[in-house]
Amino acid sequence: MTEWLDDFLVRSVIAGLIMVTIAAPMGCLMVWQRLAFLSDTLGHAAVMGVGLGLLLEVNPLFGVLAVALLIVFSLNRVTRFNTALSETTLAIISHTGLAGGIILVSLLPAQSVNLEAILFGDLLATTTADLTRLLVTTVLLLLVLRHYWRSFVAISVSREIAQAEGIEVRKIQLLMYIMIALLVAVMMKVMGVLLIAAMLVIPTTSARLFSHSPEQMVLISGFYGLGALAGGITTSFQLDWQTGPAIVVSATILLLLTLGITRIFKSHLH
Amino acid sequence: MQAELLLRASNLSYSAGKRVILDDISFELRRGQITTIIGPNGAGKSTLTNIVNGLISNFDGEIERAPGLRIGYLPQKVYVNTLMPLSVSRLLCLTHDSSDQEIEHALAQTGVSYLRQRQVRSLSEGELKRVLLARTTLGQPDLIVLDEPTAGVDISGEIRMYELIGELRTQLQCAVLLVSHDLHLVMSKTDQVLCLNQHLCCSGIPESVSRHPEYLALFGQQAADSIAIYAHHHDHEHDVSGDHAGHRHD
Repeated sequence: MTEWLDDFLVRSVIAGLIMVTIAAPMGCLMVWQRLAFLSDTLGHAAVMGVGLGLLLEVNPLFGVLAVALLIVFSLNRVTRFNTALSETTLAIISHTGLAGGIILVSLLPAQSVNLEAILFGDLLATTTADLTRLLVTTVLLLLVLRHYWRSFVAISVSREIAQAEGIEVRKIQLLMYIMIALLVAVMMKVMGVLLIAAMLVIPTTSARLFSHSPEQMVLISGFYGLGALAGGITTSFQLDWQTGPAIVVSATILLLLTLGITRIFKSHLH
Repeated sequence: MQAELLLRASNLSYSAGKRVILDDISFELRRGQITTIIGPNGAGKSTLTNIVNGLISNFDGEIERAPGLRIGYLPQKVYVNTLMPLSVSRLLCLTHDSSDQEIEHALAQTGVSYLRQRQVRSLSEGELKRVLLARTTLGQPDLIVLDEPTAGVDISGEIRMYELIGELRTQLQCAVLLVSHDLHLVMSKTDQVLCLNQHLCCSGIPESVSRHPEYLALFGQQAADSIAIYAHHHDHEHDVSGDHAGHRHD
């Protein structure tokens, strides 16, 4: 019944589609709440998680999730209600995580880790088990997003107004952090830890250029994500580029094209 | 008979590190009344409103809210997120659903119906204030908290805004907690004044506060005179006696 999943290309396309589906709403929320840098931090620190996972001989994904959750819970404790996450703190965590992780990985026998796949992703090597994990996490995240969407949008606009008018901002914020940790853990396989933030930010930025409502921006980001995925997989398959970087470059080309086209349209109007 | 008690603050104190910001503040907010907090810069006005609306929770003392109290809040500064596409009408339904008519009516009241379809990020500061004031009236609030609502609004808009706040209190049958610098504009509509300078210098109806020595020390005779002028325009009954609640002298 699942023979069609035997084709690695089919598996990668499905994995990519699932990732795009969840990256659009999460990316928008993170851009609105200025949390894109957090995903970068969690991504970098994920290398440490991979190292720990391999060292303890458990699935590296659990290592990544454990490290990411540890970081977000600590951040949630130290941040005050209306202050943004400190960029300095995030940068320290981010680079210490990456540096420590690389040392940890270098201690392991060379054949057990593919550092490049960790850093830049390895979409074409997606297994059926990867797919299952990606799908389950995405469905879970989508359900939570649907249930709390109004609260998420409200705290993106103003945490003060949201709190005063009855939304439990701290709870919603912690929930958001946990969701980002989960997202990073699953996106790592496809994008690589270094490029997760790019996939959350670039399609979103393109979409922002002509969106009029939060939901519209999510939808349009999804289409830009699809475009980037198509471009990425094609070049990756045909030219043997690494998938993660190929997707990011495609996303940026789409952004530049969009910028150019909107420029031309605007100058025609005037 | 006194109007329904919506919120009682008892002996509120708040410090940031060693700096005392609020010291032993007590007051009540009742339905249909406008309470104005006045005080110099750094007196703790915004801190006090943030305790009232639940933004600050690590204070000493006690806040009792009427069960299910709904608050509409206009913060002093709203950071407009330019990364987010958001229309004015959508901003008005941020935390609760409102019908098109309700939105139209709310915007018309603050004179900004024409902004309805505009993106929030394209508004001027004054326009944004009016839109945000309109949004506090939606969702059947019991209490409207306005922190410097007229900052960035032109003078004619300012006068209209204070008139409107007076009307809203009657229309919505809610309490209003107002932080303001514009003493003379505010006073004619105010039922209760809390004169704040870390501690509660004095409180009560505007006339009694304006004669209080601590008020005079803070704002000078001129401010007192301007209240006296506006006091003649009072056309409503006071529900609270003009006593000097929370009287403290150190």
